[in-house]
Amino acid sequence: MIELTINGRKIQAEPDESILQCALRNGIEIPHLCNHPSLPPYGACRICMVEVEGMRGYPTSCTTPVAPGMEVKTDTPALQELRRNILGLMMLEHPSACLLCGRRDLCDEFRPQAEKVGRTTGCHTCNNKDMCEVRTLSEDLGFCELPVPPLYHHRPIERSDPFIDRDLNLCILCGRCVRVCKHQHGTSIIDFVGRGSVSRIGEAFGRTLLEADCRFCGSCVDVCPTGSLADRYAKWFGQVQDCCETSCIFCDEGCAITVGIDQGKAVMAQAVDEDKPLCVLGRFAVAPFMNGADRLTVPKIRVESVLREVSWQMALTEAAELLKPFKGESFALVFDPAVPEEDRFYFKIFAEKVMGTSHCIAADKDAKGRLAVKLPEDVKAAWLLGDMISAEEAEKLELLILQDAYPSHLMDKAAVVFPAALFTEVSGTWIDGSGKARPLHAVTTPPGQARPDRQIFMDLAAAVNDSSLDDAAPALAEELKAFGEAVLQRRRDTIPPAASDPSLKKEWFRGHELSKLVGGLACLTAEAPEPEPVEIIDEPQVISTPAENFQVVQKREIAPNNHEIVFYVPAVAKKAMAGQFVIVMADEQSERVPYTLCDWDREAGTITLIVQEKGQSSRKLALMKAGDIAAHIVGPLGTPLEMKNYGTVALLGGCYGIGAHIANAKALKEAGNTVVIMIEARSHYLHYYLEELAAVADELIVTTIDGSNGIKGHAIDALLRRLDGGDIIDRAITVGCPFMMKVAALETQDRDLPMMAALNPIMLDGTGMCGACRVTVNGETKFACVDGPFFDAHTIDWDELRDRRNAYSDAELNSLLSTEPVAHAHHHTGGGCGCGRS
Amino acid sequence: MSDLEKEKSGTATRKPKKPRPPRQPMPAQAPEDRARNFQEVPYGYTPELAMIEASRCLDCKNPKCVAGCPVNVDIPGFIRLIQQGKFIESARHLKEQNALPAICGRVCPQEEQCEKVCIIGIKNEPVAVGRLERFVADYERNSGAVTIPELPPSTGKRIAVIGAGPAGLTAAGDLVRMGHEVTVFEALQEPGGVLIYVIPEFRLPKEIVKAEVDYLRQMGVNFVMDYVVGRNATIQELLNEEGYHAVFIGSGAGLPAFLRIPGENLVGVYSANEYLTRSNLMKSYLFPKYDTPPIRRQRVAVVGGGNVAMDAARTALRLGGDVHIVYRRAKEQMPARVEEIHHAEEEGVQMKLLTNPKRILGDERHRVTGIECIQMELGEPDDSGRRSPVPVEGSEFVLEVDTVVIAIGNNPNPLIPQTMPDLAVSRWGTIVVDEDTMATTVPGVFAAGDIVSGAATVISAMGQARTAAATINRYVLGEEVTFPPVPEK
Repeated sequence: MIELTINGRKIQAEPDESILQCALRNGIEIPHLCNHPSLPPYGACRICMVEVEGMRGYPTSCTTPVAPGMEVKTDTPALQELRRNILGLMMLEHPSACLLCGRRDLCDEFRPQAEKVGRTTGCHTCNNKDMCEVRTLSEDLGFCELPVPPLYHHRPIERSDPFIDRDLNLCILCGRCVRVCKHQHGTSIIDFVGRGSVSRIGEAFGRTLLEADCRFCGSCVDVCPTGSLADRYAKWFGQVQDCCETSCIFCDEGCAITVGIDQGKAVMAQAVDEDKPLCVLGRFAVAPFMNGADRLTVPKIRVESVLREVSWQMALTEAAELLKPFKGESFALVFDPAVPEEDRFYFKIFAEKVMGTSHCIAADKDAKGRLAVKLPEDVKAAWLLGDMISAEEAEKLELLILQDAYPSHLMDKAAVVFPAALFTEVSGTWIDGSGKARPLHAVTTPPGQARPDRQIFMDLAAAVNDSSLDDAAPALAEELKAFGEAVLQRRRDTIPPAASDPSLKKEWFRGHELSKLVGGLACLTAEAPEPEPVEIIDEPQVISTPAENFQVVQKREIAPNNHEIVFYVPAVAKKAMAGQFVIVMADEQSERVPYTLCDWDREAGTITLIVQEKGQSSRKLALMKAGDIAAHIVGPLGTPLEMKNYGTVALLGGCYGIGAHIANAKALKEAGNTVVIMIEARSHYLHYYLEELAAVADELIVTTIDGSNGIKGHAIDALLRRLDGGDIIDRAITVGCPFMMKVAALETQDRDLPMMAALNPIMLDGTGMCGACRVTVNGETKFACVDGPFFDAHTIDWDELRDRRNAYSDAELNSLLSTEPVAHAHHHTGGGCGCGRS
Repeated sequence: MSDLEKEKSGTATRKPKKPRPPRQPMPAQAPEDRARNFQEVPYGYTPELAMIEASRCLDCKNPKCVAGCPVNVDIPGFIRLIQQGKFIESARHLKEQNALPAICGRVCPQEEQCEKVCIIGIKNEPVAVGRLERFVADYERNSGAVTIPELPPSTGKRIAVIGAGPAGLTAAGDLVRMGHEVTVFEALQEPGGVLIYVIPEFRLPKEIVKAEVDYLRQMGVNFVMDYVVGRNATIQELLNEEGYHAVFIGSGAGLPAFLRIPGENLVGVYSANEYLTRSNLMKSYLFPKYDTPPIRRQRVAVVGGGNVAMDAARTALRLGGDVHIVYRRAKEQMPARVEEIHHAEEEGVQMKLLTNPKRILGDERHRVTGIECIQMELGEPDDSGRRSPVPVEGSEFVLEVDTVVIAIGNNPNPLIPQTMPDLAVSRWGTIVVDEDTMATTVPGVFAAGDIVSGAATVISAMGQARTAAATINRYVLGEEVTFPPVPEK
């Protein structure tokens, strides 16, 4: 033991630990970033600097070993200043405006949860908001200004790899991911690429993770302190509600996993032991497999050649009835050996006691887990727990009962289909490849009415009044006891080690090819065709001959995550008025989403929209290319902005509202007004249409939250300055997100300034038919689609509007669980040298 | 002369009366099963059942059923063909008077119309006209034997039909068969109106609406989707600039009524239109294959006692909820079809009758937590003879729910009247017409359906549309048609 002093406190230290380790162990907090408990020290970020008596400069505590008699200071004003400066420099390349925002508390209160988007440009739209180490650090250090305007790299979101999304615009180059990869696999699939201001994390030679032979253990995602690296599937869940341990039984290893759970559903799975990564199946396939959209959820029976959904009661009765003639050796029960021991026990009793057959067959499987069963000659009826016999074999059967979690070709033949639960949904004991017992816990809820396998057999036995499977019956209780003891003897009491070889081993489960059910896995199998890349194109594109209604004639990403789309829709262009909107459906499955008409060309028959990538439907629009045709566009809808000469009108715009003011300014100018446009954005690189707006307004005032361009603050700050300076503004019109509009309304409440806000609630038809867009204005209910979108900003119930807009946010997150997002890449038109610089 | 006719005319020798078979029920999904799926509830008659049922028809000389039908379908005629096993011919005969038999067979309130006046119904149960109508229409469609009738030579007259709901589709079908060029304008992305956005899949499979629309398309009706008359063009523009000779308005009663009680804008309060549109038109029950998220909640209160309330309640059941209908009068006074109420109860919808909502309660996130109701009792009959409910003092209670669906009716959609000052509307917002001709106060403009009568039934809209189509035909061919004057205010 060594004795040293930290902040005047005498402390005992282990001989080979670092100052940081020692301090943390003793409850002394030293801010740090690149350091990670499961990685060797690195000393890259320099946030953990300390002062050590007698040492020159400021050594990093993570790399400085303790020494006897050392006197360490961790929190001097000089250190604080230095750390703030380091963080400030780091934040120049990380979208940090939200950390500098003067209305941050108000924002967090108004919208505590992160909103999902394509490219993240601030904490409010960051998938990592709840867990962000940078955010915590900036709070601890009192970070409050940037030395110079920040740099946004305009890097495309990398979505071409399975399972992992990378938004390197958020990366702070701490190197944790690079180190964990090397630490755990000995090789670096990813490393620092490029130098100086263009250095980034990437693979050698511009390859993808897949091409670089990544095993997708997910460790890089797990250690990333920012939102740069994300598990695509779990991305927008934020902090999961609960974490529970169980075992993964995709293959014979039976690794211990921690399942992240949200509302009873598996969101993600991680290794229990951080140091021993899982294979891709354990890390990334568990949650999508459990939540697949095609999961069987309701029992079905065949009625006149069609499978119809019925109640459990009816399905069990039907099965019992159909099974009657097949008691004895003409019946076989066949299961995938990947089942808990308890299930085997009940299967056997069911076969022997209830059906009187010796055919209780654990299907043979090959190394990949593919099942192949040849039924014994005398079998005429089979109860199959998976897809394990050929169509010809099935054809020979007189009765087929199927019990499975996913549909298969056997559904064509099955008389009864029972929906079965999968392994995170059942409890029991699993015997791994080496013969040791591993615990299975029911940590998630089965979808719909699915039930655990053994439960179904018990229910059927109960339905025919057979007590063979009744736990309470004495005969079974005796056997259960013996069985339990046998299993207990094999139980391990230590956490089993993780997969010895983290490469994909088993490709089939219960007779289903995993790569068909978990989208990303298909990319990993050698023979799989390259996924068709779906591209979001950065470059402006134009088509020359607009021919068809609803066709995209022009498309570009005009600011990060903001897409300008010009559609050919003469019927809308002909009648469009300032302030109106259209409802767009990219395809027949889309939601009907309203978008403000930013501009139009009556001659050319085109309209211009600004679309932000947020959910599924807007992503489809963002993915459209010039020449593509949308399924539906209807409009112009809504009451146009009332046009008259008010005098001087201030137009406040944020996000899509910046674009919306092109039309408003033009019309107001035409009506004789003096138009001052005040636009806001988090940072300078998020502004767009600066020239266009300047051309249609008398004056354009620019504001940024981080102060990198124009006035620091929101658009309302520009307006307040004008008012305080004695300028006469006769009317204000605000268009943007509800938060921006609410702030504008709140802060002008006591001033004599009429202010209109364009509301954007959820809509369905947009013609007044459904009332989804109800808003409360001045205590009265209004329909935003026909009475609006413009209302008196000072009388709007903003909190109600926010909550009504968020009505489906939970459901939308759950949709991510059951739709495997298409692997697609942003196409980036760089300089060609591969440096990623445009 | 058939035996029956002989018997009636007295020329036949008296035979001992053959026992008449009972009214044949339709095979259907069991309530506990169907309550959780979106598949259609009844499977429909088999040919054998249809022929047994058809044999019950007396083929009356003076068929009261025809008069009872708003579109005067030759009911004994098509049933006679079923008796002879000529199902396809029967369907074609039926389609001569009714463009949408597969739909009407499912959603018409036959018990109030044709079946109500059936002679057999006096002593026994009436002939199941609706089920037979449905049977032949399905039979023809499923056999792929749908043929397009021969159309008369084109008249060269162009007619704009606004709204692709029951009224619009009927008018379009009639007018195209008269040789006119018909364009239907629809604001939503699919034609069908209430047939697709309100009436659920399990009551009227959308495939059937699609087939009926395809039939009209094949006859030459032009459908323009995503077009809002009143926004993309006014009616005057259609007549004066776009070259239409007449305009038919069938824009329906698409403005939901609310209770005007506190808490109505909470998250989880829906108009029946929204609730049903999400599920039916936007297919949210197929989420996430479709992007529109469904409303899956645990406890649902549906306020109202009409057919739409039953549709909403039964949809809620299928989305996995515990469902209560809250209605302020007694069950006998519910405007919904008896069959619908029966279906809903069978499936497990719980009825809170003589119960009136007072306010909706919510939490700090504006989410519904309950609905406060007051118990009612029936008072003295009012002028209309209905005993109106009066509140029982101090009987307030809270029904704990997380979703409230308001299904108390619709008002006419004001969009078209708003953009057309000459078009006279009543104080309820309905368009004023001459009920014999369905002509409005604007020359060349006709209207039918819910925009004229307020929220009513599919078949009454179709009946009016048929009248309107006949008048439009006379009008565009140059006959004198009088348009009612604008009533004095």
